Amino acid sequence: MSPTSLDELIDALRCLPGVGPKSAQRMAYHLLQRDQRGAERLSKALSHALRVLRHCARCNTFCEGEVCERCASSRRDSRLLCVVEMPVDLAMLEQTHAYQGLYYVLMGRLSPLDGIGPRELGLEKLIARASDGTVEEVILATNFTNEGEVTAHTIGELLRARGLKVSRIARGLPVGGELEHSDTGTIAQALLERRPTQEPSG
Amino acid sequence: MASPRQRVDQQPGFILHSIPYRETSLIVEALTREHGRVALIAKGARRPHSTLRGLLMAFQPLWLDWSGGGELKTLIRAEWQGGQPLLTGRALLCGYYLNELLVKLLAREDAHPALFSGYAEVLRDLSQGQATEPLLRRFELRLLRELGYGLDLEHEAATGLPIRPEAAYVYDIERGFVPVNPTEGGAAGVSGRVLQNMAREAFTDPETQQQAKLLLRRLLNHYLGGQPLQSRRVFMELQEL
Ligand SMILES: [Zn+2]
Repeated sequence: MSPTSLDELIDALRCLPGVGPKSAQRMAYHLLQRDQRGAERLSKALSHALRVLRHCARCNTFCEGEVCERCASSRRDSRLLCVVEMPVDLAMLEQTHAYQGLYYVLMGRLSPLDGIGPRELGLEKLIARASDGTVEEVILATNFTNEGEVTAHTIGELLRARGLKVSRIARGLPVGGELEHSDTGTIAQALLERRPTQEPSG
Repeated sequence: MASPRQRVDQQPGFILHSIPYRETSLIVEALTREHGRVALIAKGARRPHSTLRGLLMAFQPLWLDWSGGGELKTLIRAEWQGGQPLLTGRALLCGYYLNELLVKLLAREDAHPALFSGYAEVLRDLSQGQATEPLLRRFELRLLRELGYGLDLEHEAATGLPIRPEAAYVYDIERGFVPVNPTEGGAAGVSGRVLQNMAREAFTDPETQQQAKLLLRRLLNHYLGGQPLQSRRVFMELQEL
């Protein structure tokens, strides 16, 4: 029989995504035996984060104050609002340095068969945010999965009905991608969503 | 039928739903042509660079290979058949509804090749942007027929006489369509003309659309035995926003 506190730790670690009983046990032994300082730090960081973090009133991502730094910045174009599923998606878009507008992070996606509907996803908060009178265009950057697509469609309908311009990020072959090495689904969709090439002017 | 240790190759199928399983895997519910609804473990499908990850998408025709004789089989390979645009917009919402009906009403490993063809057909029609309501009604009717709950749309209950277009009917789950005085039929009533249209799978006129929808919904709810449909709830919530 292992002590209760050890069992409790192992059980607690299982709340992490993709962590089953075996990994949880490995993590617990590692923290307790090999890296007590790391464990201390993790425990402090976790309880601190839990205490101070909340959802930004404007973009819904995690932040420490009422409104996050990005949303408060005057250098961002507040007429553009880009909707993403998760904070990690926002981070990817920021890495492109190609977008100067603001974001809204859904913290999930619609998933009708799992019972995740507009209420669970808090879509009324997004509607309120996009209807602030400053936003002119909403860019839907949810994933190109069925769930991401149904989420984009739904938000698109709701916001268009409120007079906003709505666009969807394009889908196709990756930059530097070769047809020979691309998956069939992507190529098929790229063909379907083909667009006319630019006529030379003059 | 499935014998233990069986291996199935190149089986045409569609993913109906998938849920996370253990640390990196998925359990997918698939509808296949010769094996009906099967549950497959897709090992490692949630690893970041898994090739299965993008392939196991609902509404796309696939070829599936699996092995195992138990209730949960092991997916060995999935291949994209291609040729079908992804569902978008309202058609995608309809697709979820169809998948939920199949997951909730079909018993596992009961082969329904005709239903499989009907499903492939409705997805193709949805992906080509056809009007959604008639497609849903046609599929619901075929589903009930395949499950053995088929409606006799051509004969009156008890007498066996042909349905009369000008008469009104109510549906009795035990007996069939019973003629009623049009004034007592009320909201639950359905006209003989509508039944004749349904028998021909002709769901285009507004009266047929409306009455067939109510009738089929009532029947599906009955066979669902009180299980609510999440896709229907999500759809209604969207109307309210
Ligand atoms: Zn913010």
